[in-house]
Amino acid sequence: MIQVTNLSKRIGDVQALDDLSFSALDGQITGLLGPNGAGKTTCLRTVFGLLKPDNGFAEIDGINIAKSPVAAKQQLGLFPDPFGLYERLTPREYISYFAELNGLSRSDAKHATSSVIEKLHLADIADRQCKGFSQGQRMKTALAQAIVHQPTNIVLDEPTRGLDVMSTRVLRDILRDLKNQGHCVLFSSHVMQEVAALCDQVIVMAEGKVVAVGSPDALCQQTGKNSLEDAFIQLIGTDEGIAA
Amino acid sequence: MSNKIITMVRKELIDAARDKRSVMAGLYYAVGAPLLMCGMFFMLIGQLTSPEDLNIKINNPQGAPDLIKYLSSKGITQGDADKNKDILLVVSDDYASNMAKGISADVTLIADASNEKLQKSIRRLEKNLQQYSSEMGSLRLIARGIDPRVMQPIKLNVEDQATPDSKAGMILGLATMTMIYAVFISGMNLAIDTSAGERERNSLALLLSHPVSTGQIVIAKIISVTLFGMIGLLLTLIVSKFAYSFVPWQELGFSVSVNSSFIGMMMLVGLPVAIMAACLQLFVSFMAKSFKEAQSYLTIVLMLPMMLAMAASYDIAPDTLQWLPVSGQLQALIEFIKGRELPGMQLAISSLITLAISALLAFGMQKSLKSEKIVFGL
Repeated sequence: MIQVTNLSKRIGDVQALDDLSFSALDGQITGLLGPNGAGKTTCLRTVFGLLKPDNGFAEIDGINIAKSPVAAKQQLGLFPDPFGLYERLTPREYISYFAELNGLSRSDAKHATSSVIEKLHLADIADRQCKGFSQGQRMKTALAQAIVHQPTNIVLDEPTRGLDVMSTRVLRDILRDLKNQGHCVLFSSHVMQEVAALCDQVIVMAEGKVVAVGSPDALCQQTGKNSLEDAFIQLIGTDEGIAA
Repeated sequence: MSNKIITMVRKELIDAARDKRSVMAGLYYAVGAPLLMCGMFFMLIGQLTSPEDLNIKINNPQGAPDLIKYLSSKGITQGDADKNKDILLVVSDDYASNMAKGISADVTLIADASNEKLQKSIRRLEKNLQQYSSEMGSLRLIARGIDPRVMQPIKLNVEDQATPDSKAGMILGLATMTMIYAVFISGMNLAIDTSAGERERNSLALLLSHPVSTGQIVIAKIISVTLFGMIGLLLTLIVSKFAYSFVPWQELGFSVSVNSSFIGMMMLVGLPVAIMAACLQLFVSFMAKSFKEAQSYLTIVLMLPMMLAMAASYDIAPDTLQWLPVSGQLQALIEFIKGRELPGMQLAISSLITLAISALLAFGMQKSLKSEKIVFGL
């Protein structure tokens, strides 16, 4: 479970997070939906302790990230934006490197890597250096890195950006699998279809604040609109910065 | 805890070994620097051992054939008109007759004494003329039944205490400097790649979001860069060992060999320097915003150890330099080369200071990795 309480963060002149509170539960997919510049990435970075909030705190399975960062991060897997691949390593080396950093022994890391490679159908590229990978291949490698150590909580920052339909479907299936296994999945997006198709709970964000929380259906009902997109526009009160 | 450091070091080394730029940076220096030094030694030896023939202009040489023969045996000859060095030696017309009568025969040396370039040649000519003169004087005394030693109330004996190895010290000082500099050059590209490069490729934030402490990350990176620097140093030493064996040292009257005890000493003394080099380069690179910016900063920063090393090897340094990093180690190594006792105390203190500076830099880096400004370049 990921819980943030009263998070505030100022970056330069911008109030990126403004008294933000929400929780993402185990066994659910939670979508952080907001226009560009709403503070989604800042929020996720704060959850990982990479940014220090001016106010408030974030807890991972009840562990405060600011107080015990290593223990809290042990419960987290990150699918970052941008991916941050090591171009000269092969996916197998890359995935098993991060597995070891999460405390797996060398042989356990190898096993875990092999099984995640199989799960994501990465076998054909697993022993090629990441240089020159397509966006879909990069996505799968980065995703494998995020789930190889089976963390309870998986955080994805804009996971579907630049993916074709096939890759998007693979990603969706994996996220549903993770949810069914009882993981807490939190992802940020500004793509309505993704959020509508996947999420049990949507957190609509604008200007660093939570505007609305609820399932996609509930949000439509709340605003009296037929589609999540219309509901979203209604909620944030502007049509600025939305990618359909 | 230490397992994670080993994992990170292993990854850094695999990553670096596949990076042509990182490998080449070390390799070029390791092969290039000793060869360049060798070329320089060849030139130096050529200059030291075979002084050029001195060409002068001589008027009336047929008046003093014996003197001319003596001078030419000392490499002073009447050369081509365009090659002579503006030094004119005039043998007087009555030289032969005065010589025969046993009175002073006039020889005139005409040259511009204010001309700096001629000074050495003039002194050489004067010295040889005086030697010839005293040789003639001795012969005359012997002919008159007098021991020529009455003309030498003082006999000056000069004992040169320089051992062959200590003469080599200056030259090896220069060579040592280029060797120890290898730890700075070899690890440089890796240091930039693993810090500024890692941030540029967005993998730094990912690394930091995993359950490793910033201290572990910093230690792993320092170890990796240090290892690269040490490998570069070892390669440089091995190449030097072979390259220097081709230099005709015997022409200088001493021999210089990069033997295994020297290599061992160099690796031992070089280790703290390599650690400091790694810390310094990583620290500067983390402060830079991009790979290119780090490169240009480092070029300037690397002038510092270069200057310390120069000061030590040319002995133009104030005493305090013997306690400082690089210059302290270098001075100790030069003593070792000269065959003198290794100044253990001085070496220990300068190595400790080197490690203390490294620790400070590492601490600074560990702090900076917690700063949002450094990690995200905000």
